[in-house]
Amino acid sequence: MVFEDIYKLYYHKIYRICMGYVNDYDVALDLTQETFIIVWKQLPRFRNESSIGTWIFRIASNNCLRLIEKEKRVIKTELTINLIEENQESIEPKIQMLYKYISELQETDRIIISLELEDVNQTEIANIVGLSESNVRVKIHRIKEKLKRKFKENGQQ
Amino acid sequence: MDNNNLDLSSIWKQQKVGQPNIEELTYKLNQFKKSGLQKLIITNVILVITIGLIIFIWNHYQPQFITSKIGIVLTILSMVIFVFFNNKLFSVFNKIDYTKSNNEYLLDLILLKTKQKYIQTKILGFYFIVLSLGICLYMYEYTSRMTTLGSIFAYSVTLIWIGLNWFYFRPKTIKKQHIKLDELICEFENMEKQLDSKE
Repeated sequence: MVFEDIYKLYYHKIYRICMGYVNDYDVALDLTQETFIIVWKQLPRFRNESSIGTWIFRIASNNCLRLIEKEKRVIKTELTINLIEENQESIEPKIQMLYKYISELQETDRIIISLELEDVNQTEIANIVGLSESNVRVKIHRIKEKLKRKFKENGQQ
Repeated sequence: MDNNNLDLSSIWKQQKVGQPNIEELTYKLNQFKKSGLQKLIITNVILVITIGLIIFIWNHYQPQFITSKIGIVLTILSMVIFVFFNNKLFSVFNKIDYTKSNNEYLLDLILLKTKQKYIQTKILGFYFIVLSLGICLYMYEYTSRMTTLGSIFAYSVTLIWIGLNWFYFRPKTIKKQHIKLDELICEFENMEKQLDSKE
């Protein structure tokens, strides 16, 4: 597969996954770009051992996990400012809420639920994250319950 | 909408996303390639300057003793190795496979950071030892021309300075590096545990 096609095909998905992880427009854009730079570098080594999707999602999620190494302090201190910026980015409050709630989950849960909401099948999610399928299923169920509870608590039904 | 029927996936996909901009990414990729080349050039320039500096000192001061010559080489090399390691070699060592599963990747990261901690400490120790040895060897030729008292004084002052570095500044730097790395290791371990919990 040509890099340009991969980029166009996966750009939105990768951006949303990064956005779910950080809930910060600019950081998500940076993470997305970094992901594609890694994809570009690694592409000659892609051996079809997994699907290209699994492969790219692994790179994107691993890159997100490593964010703490680069910008831990920046993100924590700027969160409130970024949330205000978010208001301008998304019209629907529900979208804002969902991304905010997801970014408040444990790191690996953010990745799992983002992949699920991106319609990645659970076998593939298990493969990306490195958990058993049954474990992934249980986790997804719990995370969804948690998110719905948060929506309910905030009167967004 | 009923809470139970809240379609999270549909809300998720309504997030506004800018259009992919291949020109911008190509620009970034070119920048990336360029910076790699720049780093390589800088590394080589530093190497040439170092060799030039050694030759200059050697010629200019005309040391007679072999100890002075070894001293010059050791002192400059220790500094170059230290700078090199922190800037260039470390990025090579820092490479990690992004295409593994999150679980394996986190385990690799923990291992990498633990190794980094160990190697940083060793390199700093190595730097101080080689630098001190270089200075002491270099001094020998010049102190041998002094009176006994003078040379004892010169060596005492140097050794006190070296001791201060070894017993005060070195542990302080190591502690600072360790705090940063320990924090990261702890965070990565926490993430890994999230995947470890049997549910």
